[in-house]
Amino acid sequence: MPYLKMDSADLPKVARKLAASGARLVLPVREGDERFYREGADPDSLDLTTIPKNSIKEFLFPKTEKILRYQYRGKDVTVEDVPPAAAGRTVIFGARPCDAASLPVVEPLWNWDYKDEFFNARRGATVVVTYACRTAPDEACFCVSVGLGPSSDQGSDVLLFPLDETVVAVRFVTAAGRELESAFAEFGKGEVAEEALEAFRKTGEASLAHRKKFDRVQGWLEAHFEDRLWEEKAFRCVGCGTCTFLCPTCHCFDIQDESCFDVGYRLKNWDACQFSLFTLHTSGHNPRDTQPKRYRQRIYHKYAIYPQKFGKILCTGCGRCVAHCPVNLSLYDVVATAQERAERGD
Amino acid sequence: MENIYKPYLARIEEKRKETYDTTSFKLVFVDDEVRERFTFRAGNFGEYSVLGEGESTFCIASSPTKKGYIECCFRAVGRVTKSLAEKEVGDVIGFRGPYGNHFPVEDFFGKNVVFIAGGIALPPVRSVIWNVLDLRDKFEKVTIVYGARSVADLVYKHELKLWEERSDVDIVTTVDPGGETPEWKGKIGFVPTVLKEVAPSSENSVAVLCGPPIMIKFTLPVLRELGFKEEDVWTTLENRMKCGLGKCGRCNVGSVYVCKEGPVFTAAQIARMPNDF
Repeated sequence: MPYLKMDSADLPKVARKLAASGARLVLPVREGDERFYREGADPDSLDLTTIPKNSIKEFLFPKTEKILRYQYRGKDVTVEDVPPAAAGRTVIFGARPCDAASLPVVEPLWNWDYKDEFFNARRGATVVVTYACRTAPDEACFCVSVGLGPSSDQGSDVLLFPLDETVVAVRFVTAAGRELESAFAEFGKGEVAEEALEAFRKTGEASLAHRKKFDRVQGWLEAHFEDRLWEEKAFRCVGCGTCTFLCPTCHCFDIQDESCFDVGYRLKNWDACQFSLFTLHTSGHNPRDTQPKRYRQRIYHKYAIYPQKFGKILCTGCGRCVAHCPVNLSLYDVVATAQERAERGD
Repeated sequence: MENIYKPYLARIEEKRKETYDTTSFKLVFVDDEVRERFTFRAGNFGEYSVLGEGESTFCIASSPTKKGYIECCFRAVGRVTKSLAEKEVGDVIGFRGPYGNHFPVEDFFGKNVVFIAGGIALPPVRSVIWNVLDLRDKFEKVTIVYGARSVADLVYKHELKLWEERSDVDIVTTVDPGGETPEWKGKIGFVPTVLKEVAPSSENSVAVLCGPPIMIKFTLPVLRELGFKEEDVWTTLENRMKCGLGKCGRCNVGSVYVCKEGPVFTAAQIARMPNDF
């Protein structure tokens, strides 16, 4: 299928058209020296220069979310449902492939026997327009290690390929993506042949050729729960949880109540396996009582437990946890060490 | 939209102070339809909530053979359980469940059942005990070994008496040395030691074992000495939980989610788990 060709300068105009259609528009913008995905930003502020600091997960799984309302009347209490917030039609415009890919990764978790309709409502209403990476956008990312790539279409409804500084090729991946075709059509400048895309893909993958494939990590982890690696690597972890909050696939949460007199809401809030309170029992016993154990849990969850349960690695290689760790503890380095040790039979 | 986080409302029909810090409730669902259709199995747990304070996880302490209500028993330790303990008869609390797996009571038919519990871990075992006693003909010998730190820490004292009075139940109660009172008629000694003295036969037997980790640790070798196979020793794991639905990410032991694949496991299953508890 041919790809629509357009000027990259017209992308904000497409975004504006999509916003005008009434959709909630999420797009990457510049704030200071950083880029962030923001909801409701001016389409003209679209900034696709590099990978944003936050992931797109907060638009499907909010940092804090009301899951029910309760009201006391004397001794009696009633509980009411609250509709999922921000569950209207949403277009995420300019997501990176590693962010888009996170959606199909976490879907089975939210639907594991019990269906979290808060997530599902937003997921069902969300269309992702992804901006493929011509080359690795920074030094931290490693999507090729986890079976993805800078042109991966996993989780994308529309895929934009920035062929050079000024030209973008557009591919409509899914039916939901094709519904956006009219917003792009008027900016079309002809078609791009498949060969140009092939070259684009190769350039992207070549820029990440130095990254290891994590194909033997799961097996190694399953045999090395007790291993020197955890103390060696993770002793310096300060347990700040930054990696989990920036991660597009981390999904652990807490449930808390917030009241004002007789009325209140039960909330689902982001939580992190890196916090000591996360698994602390009332008795004072804590199954993961030291930081290396908590760090190990995060690696296990992503590279052993989740693949066992759902057949997918719970990581898309976005590299945010590597780039933003305050103590320079690189998840890539830890997992690559596991891979290397598996390769040499250690 | 079905909201998996929404609790049923349940009214406290009976409240009993079991010990100085432990309370038990009999709960009846407010909604008639829920009351009619609610079923569970021994070993299932729930999320009990005081709206405005939060949720807390514990087993259903009553037997599934008793219809129309559920019972629970908890120690007031944290914010939610302290607040629950302050609730009175007639008050309404939240309940989500039943969650998790259960004791395979049907597999125990035709066998001797040995119950071993320590302290506040009697409530989950009690669910199985009453399940077995309500179907008494289907089982052979029933033995209960229950211990606590002190006489004051024994829960369900009135039922211990009921079980003592029954000729079809062998029950031994014990308190840790120093925990006895002048009137105490039971044993004095730790559960593993007392179990060794009682020495229930492992022939055609299963054991249901719940207690603090330290008790479990020293009881398992005794059961092994008595000839119990690890596949015939059933216990529960208690991990901190929030959702109870396999999503919030905190109760796993290695790849096993206690909330979905547990809380009931055999000693053999637990022996295969990584040391993550």
